[in-house]
Amino acid sequence: MKKLIFTTLFTLILGFSIAQEAPKTKSFSLPSVDIKTIDGNSFNTKDIQNDGKPIIICFFATWCKPCMVELKSIAEVYDDWQDETGVKIYAVSIDDSRSSAKVLPLVNGNAWDYEVLLDENQDFKRALNVNDIPHTFILNANKEVVWQHASYAPGVEQEYIEIVKKLLEEKP
Amino acid sequence: MKHCKPIFILLFLGYITAYGQNSILQNGKLSGNVQLDAQYYIPDSIIGAEDLENKIRANVFANINYVNGGFSAGFRFEHYEWPLIDFEKINYVGSGIPYYYAAYNHQYFEVVVGSFYEQFGSGLIYRSYESRNLGYDNATQGIKVKAKPYKGITITGVWGKQRNLFVNEGQVRGADADISFTEIFPIIGDSKFRSGIGASFVSKFEKDQDPDYKLPQNIGAFAGRANFGYAGFNLQGEYAWKCNDPSAANEMIYKPGEALLLTASYSMKGLGVFLTGLRTDNFDFRTLRNASINNNIINYIPTLTREHSYALPSMYAYSSQAVGQIGFQAEVTYKIPKKTVIGGKYGTDIMVNYSRIHGIKKNYVPEAIAADGTIMLAGTDGYTSPFFAFGKEVYFEDFNIEIGRRFNKSWKLIVSYVYLNYNMEVIEGHTGDPNVHAHTVIGDLTYKINDKHALRLELQHMNTEQDDGNWMYAQLEYSIAPRWFFSVLDRWNYGNPEKEKQVHYYNVSTSFVHKTSKFSLSFGKQYEGILCVGGVCRVVPASYGCNLSIVTSF
Repeated sequence: MKKLIFTTLFTLILGFSIAQEAPKTKSFSLPSVDIKTIDGNSFNTKDIQNDGKPIIICFFATWCKPCMVELKSIAEVYDDWQDETGVKIYAVSIDDSRSSAKVLPLVNGNAWDYEVLLDENQDFKRALNVNDIPHTFILNANKEVVWQHASYAPGVEQEYIEIVKKLLEEKP
Repeated sequence: MKHCKPIFILLFLGYITAYGQNSILQNGKLSGNVQLDAQYYIPDSIIGAEDLENKIRANVFANINYVNGGFSAGFRFEHYEWPLIDFEKINYVGSGIPYYYAAYNHQYFEVVVGSFYEQFGSGLIYRSYESRNLGYDNATQGIKVKAKPYKGITITGVWGKQRNLFVNEGQVRGADADISFTEIFPIIGDSKFRSGIGASFVSKFEKDQDPDYKLPQNIGAFAGRANFGYAGFNLQGEYAWKCNDPSAANEMIYKPGEALLLTASYSMKGLGVFLTGLRTDNFDFRTLRNASINNNIINYIPTLTREHSYALPSMYAYSSQAVGQIGFQAEVTYKIPKKTVIGGKYGTDIMVNYSRIHGIKKNYVPEAIAADGTIMLAGTDGYTSPFFAFGKEVYFEDFNIEIGRRFNKSWKLIVSYVYLNYNMEVIEGHTGDPNVHAHTVIGDLTYKINDKHALRLELQHMNTEQDDGNWMYAQLEYSIAPRWFFSVLDRWNYGNPEKEKQVHYYNVSTSFVHKTSKFSLSFGKQYEGILCVGGVCRVVPASYGCNLSIVTSF
């Protein structure tokens, strides 16, 4: 009986939330979560910003191979992207204490210009309902998430920049 | 407590429904995710896939979160009533709402009631976390309060029960203070220096009902940490100490435990150097004395080994031995600059990594040595151990090198060599088994056909005289960005000393991605092995069949 109640409730809530939110999920603001910068300073995710220009947030970990391929591929074109669109990339690491100390040498060693954040306790990942990494979010000028994508396939970064360009065109 | 859950959810649901149309939901945001992993099982006696009574099984969970300004609440529904066989083997069986919370986050404080995940420092004395693929979730169920009185100062308190599988048991409470000098003093913040310190205390309570021994009921652990950095240089460390805590894991000795984790790194453009050392001595910390495997663990002892992403070397992954281990890891990454003779047009990435872990040196106390020379640890102080001495026994050793290079817009190659020395007796508890010495070579070639289409070929070969002998692995993956993946792989145990076990573990799979949803379908064989995430491992039984996975978030 208990199970039945749970299952019914679950379905109810799920159905409800989808029905309720479907028209709105087009965009939403970032949740406020306390995480850390790569220097170990505290950082609230509300402070993610790019002076009214689009933002890309990439969740990654040093042990995640597709994530590394993604960040390396974007790094090759990031200069061009910034010149053309002014987009800014936040790379959020979910490495725990086993490998979080590897993030700084990794970022410097690869000479990445991303803003790098550490989400060691995965609070930000949970707040954004990320199941698996890599997972990418694109934010518009009002810092609202307008697009997101799970997994990485070579070439998908081309889609990221096209969406960013579209966002700039939409802006009056 | 059981009755509270439905009430809590009903209230939550009522609240949302009642005020749904009003301003509250307009400002608020309801979101969540759902994951389903289902498998149809086919028996296969050669690989050891059982003939299961219930052939169709599934793991299902869904998270629902509601956020409105600083307020948030949510829960996770888990349905593991007939879970995948891996989860049944570790008793992760049940269904319900084991995770639910309500939280308020303010500029100066944060309060969470219900379930939460938290860690103090690097987790040596307290870390509650989830690793869903592993079936690991030791969320604390109670209250967490965080005070942020001044920029750079955070004080955290936790109190509650601990989740273990589908029950909450064992009491844990603790406090942590974290101070960042970089943030407090602008003079440091504006310079290239970085510095901070932290301290924590955790205690557990468990009643003594032992007929033979007088056991401590309140067991405390302390930890202190510091970090220091200047430009590309970084140094951090944490030391932890634990009261005497006789338990099944340490064979009922009254010796206090200790742990030390040190990390140093240096990096500049194109170069990264990373060095880390760890020693743990009698540092298995659980809410229940008799717990074993991955149950009731309070803390997290990181492993000092590289987490391999390629299939064959990850067969022999190290699992952290909290009761006693000493070791180090060194890693150098270097990028040969682009547009040079050796580096090529795009540059070349080189990574060399070495780790070695031993047992700690133990000198047994006289009381532990019986007249006939046998060791009887229970009830004694166990042993003494010189702090920096390596024991004779090698637990794990890993030397690996990886070189990656892009030749032009279309072709990219990664080659790698991995040597592993794996102590089966200690890591898997197979008494009498010899250490596995395995040499693996890997080639990973990507061909980008055009902007959206790419082919990837992965070849691996592992050579070893021990365990199951040699393995070969080949995988071909075709992807069409951003939606489609197709993959065929074969993992062939051609060197197995038993001829009939020279099996092809093949797998054919496809997945389709649409925004945040991923649908995957696969068919094939899974060999009996070990899955490790972050140094915490579980056994994966052999299986054969068809697998469906659906992941989505909204």
